Amino acid sequence: MRNKGLGHWMLAPALLLLLALIIGPLFYSAGLSAYSWNLTDIDLPKQFTGLANYTKLFGDPTVGTAVLNTVIYVVFAVGIELVLGFLVAAALFEMTKGRRLANAFILLPMIIAPVITALLWRYLLDPQFGLVAQLTGTSIGWFGDAQLALPALIAVDVWQWTPFVILILHAGMLSIGTEQFEAASIDGAGRPTIYRRIVIPAIVPQVMIVLLFRTMDTYRIFDTVFVLTKGGPGLSTETIGLYTYRTGFSYFDMGYAMALSIFILVTVVIISSVYIRLLRRREVLT
Amino acid sequence: MKRRDWWVIGSYVVVGVFLLWVLVPIVTVALNSLKSPQDIFSSTPQLVFTPTGDNYGKVLGELSFQTFLVNSTIVALGSTLLSIVVGVPAAYALARLPVRGREWWAWLILFTRMVPAVALVVPMFVIFQRLQLLGTYTALVAAHTTFNLPIVIWMMRSFFEELPRDLEEAAQVDGTGRFGAFLRVALPLTSPGLAATGVLCLLFSWNEFLFALVLSGRETQTVPIGVASFIGTVSVDWGGSSAAAVLAMIPVFVLGLAAQRFLVRGLTFGAVKG
Repeated sequence: MRNKGLGHWMLAPALLLLLALIIGPLFYSAGLSAYSWNLTDIDLPKQFTGLANYTKLFGDPTVGTAVLNTVIYVVFAVGIELVLGFLVAAALFEMTKGRRLANAFILLPMIIAPVITALLWRYLLDPQFGLVAQLTGTSIGWFGDAQLALPALIAVDVWQWTPFVILILHAGMLSIGTEQFEAASIDGAGRPTIYRRIVIPAIVPQVMIVLLFRTMDTYRIFDTVFVLTKGGPGLSTETIGLYTYRTGFSYFDMGYAMALSIFILVTVVIISSVYIRLLRRREVLT
Repeated sequence: MKRRDWWVIGSYVVVGVFLLWVLVPIVTVALNSLKSPQDIFSSTPQLVFTPTGDNYGKVLGELSFQTFLVNSTIVALGSTLLSIVVGVPAAYALARLPVRGREWWAWLILFTRMVPAVALVVPMFVIFQRLQLLGTYTALVAAHTTFNLPIVIWMMRSFFEELPRDLEEAAQVDGTGRFGAFLRVALPLTSPGLAATGVLCLLFSWNEFLFALVLSGRETQTVPIGVASFIGTVSVDWGGSSAAAVLAMIPVFVLGLAAQRFLVRGLTFGAVKG
């Protein structure tokens, strides 16, 4: 065949670009994480310290706090989004009219920039002039309270990303064949039975995709936390992404920042691989 | 009433309450952008007020928010075009052509979706500093291509795979060759998908914050940086920042609704067809 090499020629530019922009920087980062160096003395020779940045990482109490906060954030945000998303997706599924219109409004939060979302909630929850304060007559400083800041950030994530869960689960429900429902209603099955026996088993793949993407993306949460709390008060909302950013661009400790960024990468890849293995077993992802 | 009817009524209530939860924050900011400070800083919500354009005048006047809008447009268009030009042929190759190690390449591209921006932004900052590209559009376009290119490849691959093979084979019989079949048959047939993919790339680039925060300079700051700079400052200008937020949201809503049908596919990397 005369065009045998065509596939490679069409693929090569994309692969080179990905290598240059992603794989290259990651290796660069992994290499430089073996040095101790500060951004302020970039021209001085860097001191090779081997794995020192990594041993520091595992003994760093802030990393422990940041990982714990991140895990709490992931578990609660993703959990609430999944339950709420299923409820609304099922409600949409039961609707006889107006589904498309409702969908168009439901998707709005997830296409707004996280920074804008942060601004919306900053004003909504303002202790003095926010809508919540105005309507309830309270003056709670949600983002300034060490107990409430993390739950408030989780609420912001739920607002922004439950629509994503709804759209995916709803799409899964729509792809169930009508004959299954007809057979069930002939048998006289009620709605709860239909959901338990037909709908929920049918959307397991969509649930797993939701879990994969939401876990991956909440784990690296940065934008809203940066804008709303900067990790505070104290360390109450410090996340691993934020700590990495601060280490690099506030303390200029680049070697350590690179070690932290490699840590985030490796943990994300491990978590994702577990999900992807499960998905492949069910032949959802090919 | 039958039990079935109660389920339907209950569903409308659930969806209605959820829509309220979704819309209240957006509508509140839209209203704030039209209010004078007296109407914003009040102990009760002011639903009836005299709308004013002052906030928009100020944002587009002394705060020159349009600079951010222009920068975002340049970066979004640049990274979208680059991703499409490079990514679409790659997607076709992965979907249709004999390629050595196809699965391996596909997985490498999926892996790139897992890489957190924060893991890339640290080395990129150092690299771009060395190359003296910090603060340039080039740096931002390159950074945004790290997420847009994989999206283009995965989405377009799924569109190409859905095409019936006979059409391209027929074109080859006519003597156009495989590249001709790609250019003259596959590409036109997937143009709605290509348009949606482009729209999603514009959207993701428009909204991106971390790369822009670290890699942009005073001249190249994008919309999210502009909006963030309004929040948390000592004297928070609610009306002005709300107007800026509305200006940032309008193009997003237009783009998002245009690509509504393919939004889920883009966000899940083609895993859910939606």
